[in-house]
Amino acid sequence: MEALADFWAAYQSTLGFVVVNAFFALSAYAALSTGVLSFATVAYAAFGGFIGAQLVLQTGIDPLLALPAAGLAGAGLAYAVGLLFLRLEGHWMALASLALVLITRVVVLNAATLTGGVNGLSVPYEVSLGALVVLLLIAMFAFHRLSVSWYGIASRAVREDPAVAASLGMVPRRVQTIAFVISGAVGGIGGMLLALTLQFLAPDTFFINIAFTMIAAVVLGGSYHWVGAVIGAAVFTALPVVMQALVPAIQDVANGAALLLIMIFVPRGLFDPRALALRRTPVAKAAGGPHA
Amino acid sequence: MLETVPRQNLLTLSGVGKSFGGVAAVSDLDLCVPTGSVTGLMGPNGAGKTTLINLISGMFRADRGTILLDAMPIQHLPSHEIAAAGIVRTYQNVRLFSGMTVLEQVMAGCFLRRGTSLFASFLGLPKARAAKLRTEAEARVLLERVGIADRADVLAETLSYGEQRRVEIARALGARPRLLLLDEPTAGMNAQESERIGQLVHELRDAGLTVVMVEHNVRLVKDFCDNVAVVNFGRMLVQGTAAHCIAHPDVQEAYFGRSRDAERVKAVG
Amino acid sequence: MQLFIEQLINGCALGSLYAMFAVGFGLVFATLGILNAAHGTYASWAAIAALYATEQMGLPFPLALLAGVIAGGVLALVVDQIGFQPLRGRGAGMMGALITSIAFWIILDSLAGLATGQQSLSFPPGTTPSRMLHLGPILLPGIQLVSIGAMLLVTLGMHMLMRHTRFGSAMRAVGWNGTAAALGGVNPRMVVVATAFLAGATSGLAGVLAGVATQNVSFALGQGLMLKGFAAVVVGGYDDVRGAAVAGVSLGVLEVMSAQYLSSSLRDGITYVLLLGFLLLRPRGLFGRAAFVRA
Repeated sequence: MEALADFWAAYQSTLGFVVVNAFFALSAYAALSTGVLSFATVAYAAFGGFIGAQLVLQTGIDPLLALPAAGLAGAGLAYAVGLLFLRLEGHWMALASLALVLITRVVVLNAATLTGGVNGLSVPYEVSLGALVVLLLIAMFAFHRLSVSWYGIASRAVREDPAVAASLGMVPRRVQTIAFVISGAVGGIGGMLLALTLQFLAPDTFFINIAFTMIAAVVLGGSYHWVGAVIGAAVFTALPVVMQALVPAIQDVANGAALLLIMIFVPRGLFDPRALALRRTPVAKAAGGPHA
Repeated sequence: MLETVPRQNLLTLSGVGKSFGGVAAVSDLDLCVPTGSVTGLMGPNGAGKTTLINLISGMFRADRGTILLDAMPIQHLPSHEIAAAGIVRTYQNVRLFSGMTVLEQVMAGCFLRRGTSLFASFLGLPKARAAKLRTEAEARVLLERVGIADRADVLAETLSYGEQRRVEIARALGARPRLLLLDEPTAGMNAQESERIGQLVHELRDAGLTVVMVEHNVRLVKDFCDNVAVVNFGRMLVQGTAAHCIAHPDVQEAYFGRSRDAERVKAVG
Repeated sequence: MQLFIEQLINGCALGSLYAMFAVGFGLVFATLGILNAAHGTYASWAAIAALYATEQMGLPFPLALLAGVIAGGVLALVVDQIGFQPLRGRGAGMMGALITSIAFWIILDSLAGLATGQQSLSFPPGTTPSRMLHLGPILLPGIQLVSIGAMLLVTLGMHMLMRHTRFGSAMRAVGWNGTAAALGGVNPRMVVVATAFLAGATSGLAGVLAGVATQNVSFALGQGLMLKGFAAVVVGGYDDVRGAAVAGVSLGVLEVMSAQYLSSSLRDGITYVLLLGFLLLRPRGLFGRAAFVRA
């Protein structure tokens, strides 16, 4: 019993970070599911995180009540970003979003009234692990609904072949804009949850590290389904902890090596609906003449 | 309220031209597609047939000329608006969505007629759910039509080439278009399958659809096309009935070369 | 006035480091189509190698510099062949390469941290060019002239290589279309390997000089260079070496001047705003030509 309590104490915070990282990964997945690689989640998280934190600091309301504001802030920023960036071709879009991340840090450093500038912002509020898990479950349910709705069909089509999707009446830009707004809302909420988990926001909190690790989590977990994003976040957050327990000196190296191995052997990620479907398909008829 | 009489020609191209770099894929092309007909589009490889399909469906924008759907100019519309106006196409090399089942492909095709907003669908409101079930039922009917209903829940990319072509046709029909553009629908099929496609096209025509079919299979064209247009080097050679076009000396020359050359070859031995 | 000129040269020297890094980074981007997140680590490791050569092996500065440059090149080559080459066979595309590069970035960054004991190290006194030169009333650190000179050499050399040699043509051909290049008699594998080495070497050179100029050799060295180098590549034009160089130097000058005359906290801001502006309005940069068509 004692051991269990110790275990819980040690890994409770890890679970908290799994949830936060899952939000970031889901935010990245939202855009990726319509064929857009975007690192801008970091900006949405920063915007939502600081605004949400300030709202709580200024008015003293319950942090959970301020979450919608963080989500709205992120969604609004994402909409604006989408207007500017979505007309760019794929690679330039990705690079522009990376530039946005770089600019975010400069803005954070200079907007001292909102962000505390170089000294950072202290957020002496917390959120319980139970609340975090419930929030994640709500988010997962929302993504499930998106996936099985008409939006899900449209997003898959736009990702796979935007020209064909357009010729069937879908408007790729519109679908991607919706994806961005979703990405912004989820990212903004994630940012505030991070603020509540760390209880401190430094200028470097929302920077390239988050950008790269969240994309890595999505790809690792499987970028073709929202479950992949959650799995990837869990693995990516838990892996360092496991590595720390096993090989403490070189844990970061081991993380990178693990990511590399997964890229080599399971490039579509750990959860791949297509691979599962292929395995379920009865063996294809012999290749030969066409068959009625 | 004026009763609109359907025009004689559903689709009218006038003076359409398109160049890629220095190459004129299509020049000064006129084409009339009578409403409710099956029009065959023939011509040697590289004649510009697929470019024409691309221009009509909005994948490329014409440099010159007009394309009228009924009386509405569509040559500068983006492809999703052209789809909404009632023109849908299939592709020479089948382009199905990777990772989606056969049924999902056709559902994607039914997007324009989904009968509910994306938001209502996300919320899972009862009306939206009912609409989706209805659409799903219609999609299955379409799969029946092309004879592939038993494979509805299989990944489309695991099907044979001929089966994939049929899925693509079902997907195109999902939007209930007024004009269906088929780009070499029977390529890679045997005689029996091709015949089935021809019959399907006739059934569609009888139900009110206008079809333009890029075809190399002369027998199919003769049996199933009311109207034929032959293209070569991006220009219209001749339009008319199948018999008329096939016997036309210019068409013969386009496909087989000049008779003079044939005789010269014979003389040399 | 004196301060202005000194800062101008300071900016040029800093910008030269960015320019050299950008030349290497842009090479990979333009010819191999890869956005390599690990590229900065080549610079860090080159600096570490040069430091090792100086401290442990007692080599004089020019040889230590060479050691660093070669280390950067070899590291780039190894990463390319282990990480990116398998992806080429599979046709994996930009995402796969990006994630792989992130993995290497994590690995190499952590290893660099281990190698330096998580500290910022400096070259032993007297081992690097540290003399101050007098140009009239102006006082210049000698290392700045070395940086500028190196940048000019590298830029000129790379430009000559790319535009006036058969090998350069081969590099550009492989970048454009590897299969077609192979049909034309080029060995794509050799070209890719050589390109990777060159890219790593030039960035390595930037890294060593940065380590000397700031007397700060650490795993963070590469990241700073990479962000600015990346900006220089975009602003200057990723397929023209001279463009990257001009942009790099300009960014360095802008950075130093804005820190001096405007506000030090906006130091990086101007660079990144320019970066974003170009990405949105003119992705091919000031001097770039071709459209980016690679998958």
